[in-house]
Order: sequence, then structure tokens, then C-alpha cells
Amino acid sequence: MSFRHKSRGTDAEYKGDENRNGGSMKWSNCRKRGADGSMRSKGDVDSITSDLKKINPTHRHPDNRPVSFTTPESEGPVSRCADWGSEVESDEMRSSVRRDMQRYRRRILAADFGPRERTNSSGSSDSRDSPVPGEGMEDDEEVLMRRQKQINYGKNTLAYDRYIKEVPKHLRQPGHPKTPNKFKKYSRRSWDQQIKLWKVKLHAWDPPAQEGSELQAIEEVDLDDVMDIELEFPEIDPDLTTQPPRVSKASSSQVDSSHGTPSKLMKIDASVDLDVA
Amino acid sequence: MDNSKEDFKIQSFDLETQNLLKTALKEPSTVDLEKVSRILVDQSLKDPLFSKEAGRICYTIVQTEATCNSNVFRRNLLNRLQVEFKAREETRLRSVHEWVCFITFICNVFHYLKINNMPMVALVHPVYDCLDRLAQPDALSNEEEVDCLVLQLHRIGDQLEKMNGPRMDELFHLLRDGFLLQQGLSSMTRLLLLETLECRAGGWVLSDTAQKYYYSEVTD
Repeated sequence: MSFRHKSRGTDAEYKGDENRNGGSMKWSNCRKRGADGSMRSKGDVDSITSDLKKINPTHRHPDNRPVSFTTPESEGPVSRCADWGSEVESDEMRSSVRRDMQRYRRRILAADFGPRERTNSSGSSDSRDSPVPGEGMEDDEEVLMRRQKQINYGKNTLAYDRYIKEVPKHLRQPGHPKTPNKFKKYSRRSWDQQIKLWKVKLHAWDPPAQEGSELQAIEEVDLDDVMDIELEFPEIDPDLTTQPPRVSKASSSQVDSSHGTPSKLMKIDASVDLDVA
Repeated sequence: MDNSKEDFKIQSFDLETQNLLKTALKEPSTVDLEKVSRILVDQSLKDPLFSKEAGRICYTIVQTEATCNSNVFRRNLLNRLQVEFKAREETRLRSVHEWVCFITFICNVFHYLKINNMPMVALVHPVYDCLDRLAQPDALSNEEEVDCLVLQLHRIGDQLEKMNGPRMDELFHLLRDGFLLQQGLSSMTRLLLLETLECRAGGWVLSDTAQKYYYSEVTD
């Protein structure tokens, strides 16, 4: 610190944090009364702060600094060396993911309460039909952020813009690209595969190649990618590709318990997509 | 808030720059946004009036750009601000005027640019660092800096406190100490400090009586 002291004041002079504390201490010394209004005894030079200590013994740090002098614990690692642009971007994504998560939970609750009431009134046991809220929900923020980033890459394409314009929600078919649901529990491999497939399907809506030469070059590279992926196609769990409107009539309890969740997921996806569109 | 684009104080720029800014406000994707951000910061550092309002222009560009899922402008703006922030002590030594403009600008950006309706976390500590600096004795003895300090606190004090209360406490330790202990402060500085202390004490609103005390022109 190399502040130019214009005022050569005596006690006004700052010599850092330690002195700043001392300053207010000195001031409290001239008081005749403590914070509670009672007269201070002569020896009790520090009654204001010691009163504070009595009220809240944990209010001070071991090195005797008031709490306000220490950096408060924050929720996550606060890096002050990252550049602000990226910092704000990841904050933005984090808070969007949190907001989506709240929305998703609300939907689960809403969807959970509706059917349950109906089954109750019809007298059937609800243990079989009601989905367990939060079951299979991915709530690891890091995972969600990573997935959101992948989704954003896919959505930030001309193909996606064209797709959502040309095929409105209600006209979508099982074969159409469908944004993977980031809130479902999937293995990393399965998720990455779903993203890959989704992007491959989106490529069908790439703008016509003749539009621009520069664009075309990029598209050509991407097409190679697509070929690669299509070769891998047979290895994929067919379950993942036929996600969309699979109306399950099966009565086995295992299928049934998962039945509730996928149909809800579709609803949520719809709302999220609408927001973006 | 942004219904009249003519309202933005861009008349001080040359015609070409004015047109560039107008386009940036309407169709950000068609212009060099890195250049736009540079122009806006440069002007803010020179022109105190502009630095008070530039946040609104930035806000509008960021909003418009966001509709195309892009944030080139915000990224460039923030990173440039960061460069200026790192060099703040040199800036202050070189030109108090520019330093005050910088703080006005960064606080204005903090005020206008929100992430999902919340202030940008990345700016909280930097803004506090700037205000803390203004609350040091050498800055308190300069009315231009005091004026800037209290103006920023009146404008964004409540938001800052919500984002980080302890640092506001710390800042107000400095202000109280300055008000009570520092020799040679002008009575105007003391008045501004006292008013700010009262303002925060009243939940960032001046009571009617205080308002009257500080702002009525005529006394009986």
C-alpha cells in the first residue's frame, strides 16, 4: 500500500487493518456507557466488544478479527483469476441450470399430484402408478452444466433454427431429433451418444449447401463426422433412440414405474424448448 | 427503459461512430462488437457524463445480442473492464479523472447488466475493491472521489449489500472512521459521508426528515 496521505492527522492516519480496528476501539474507550446503556466500570475499556463476545462468542476469529474482516465462505470456489467474461458466462449457465432444476422439480410435483388424486378416487392402490419424485433425476450441478453446454452447442446451429421453424412441436414424429433430457440419470457414455445422435439428426436440417462457399466447407467436414457416427449406429442401445412417444401399455411393475417419468420428461422438454425457441 | 434509442447519449461521437453504435443497438450481429465495446469503454473513461449512462447502452446491446444466443459484446466488455481494473492504481496516479470515470462506468455496468435478474457475481468483489479504495484517507480528501463514492453507493449500495453484506460492513467501517477520525476533511465531504451513513442505516432510503435536512434549499 502506498497511499499518499494528504492529511497528516494524528489518529486519523491509517496503518492497515489492524489499526482500523484499533481506531474504533479507541473511540469506544471514550464512551461512558456501554451498548446496553449502563455505565462502564473504569477498568472495562473494552466493554462494547466484550458485550458482543458474550452475546455471540463465535463472532470473532481466533486471531481476534471481527467476522466482517474475513472473506465469507461462498458456495463454490471463487476464482478471481479467470477472465470476467468466462466467469459471467459460467455463472449464467449455472443459474439457468438451477432455474431449470426448480422448474423440473415443480413439474414432477405437479405431475405427481394430479394422477395420484385420480387413482385415489378410483380406489386403486397408488403405489404402482405414482412415480417417485426425484427418482433418477440428475441433480449434480457439474454434470448438468456439462450437459447444458453440449445442448447449447447443438442448439446454436442454423440447422436447429430451421428445424424448430419448419417442424412445430405438435408435428414432431418419433424419428425427429429430440433434445436429450439433461435431468435424467444416464451414464456419461449413454448421454454423449444421445447428444451425438441428436446432432446427427439435426444435420438433416442443415441449410442447402449452395448458400455460401465458406459454410459449405464447414458442412462437409461435419458430414464426415456424421458418416462415422452412422457406422457406430448398430451398437447403440435401441432404447435410447426410440425414446419419443412410446406409449407403454405393459403391466409389469418395472416398466410401469418408469412409465410415468418418460412421459413427464417429454412435457418438460417441450416447455424448455419453447423457451429457447 | 430502452424505448427510445435516440435517448442514448451518443451525440458526442463522430457521425461514423454514431452510426456504428446505432447499428450495434439494433442488429449487433452485423457489426464488430469487439470494436463497439472498445469504443464504449474508451469514451466512458474520458467522459464522466457518458460513463454514468453507458451501462444502459451496454445493456441494450447485450439483450439484443442474447436473442441470437451470442455474447461476444459482453465478453469483450467485461474482459476490457478487467484489464482496466487491474491497472486501476496506475490509472489513479496518472489521472484521478479517468479513475473516477472508470469506477462510475463499472458501477453502471454492474447496475444494468444482470444475469437472470441477478447482478453479476464476477463484478461484486471488483466493485467493492474500487469503493474501498475510494474510502481510503487519501481518496477521502479529494472531493471528486468522495462524490463518486457516495453517488455509487446511493445507486447500487443496496444491490451490493445483498450480494455481499460483510464487505459492505467493512466498507462502512472505513466511512465511519473517515467521518470521525480523519483530520482536514471538508465540510462538504463530511456532509456527503454522513448522508451516506444515514442512508444505509435507513435501509438505503433517506428518511423524510433527513431528505429535508440534506436537500432543502431554503432554511427557516
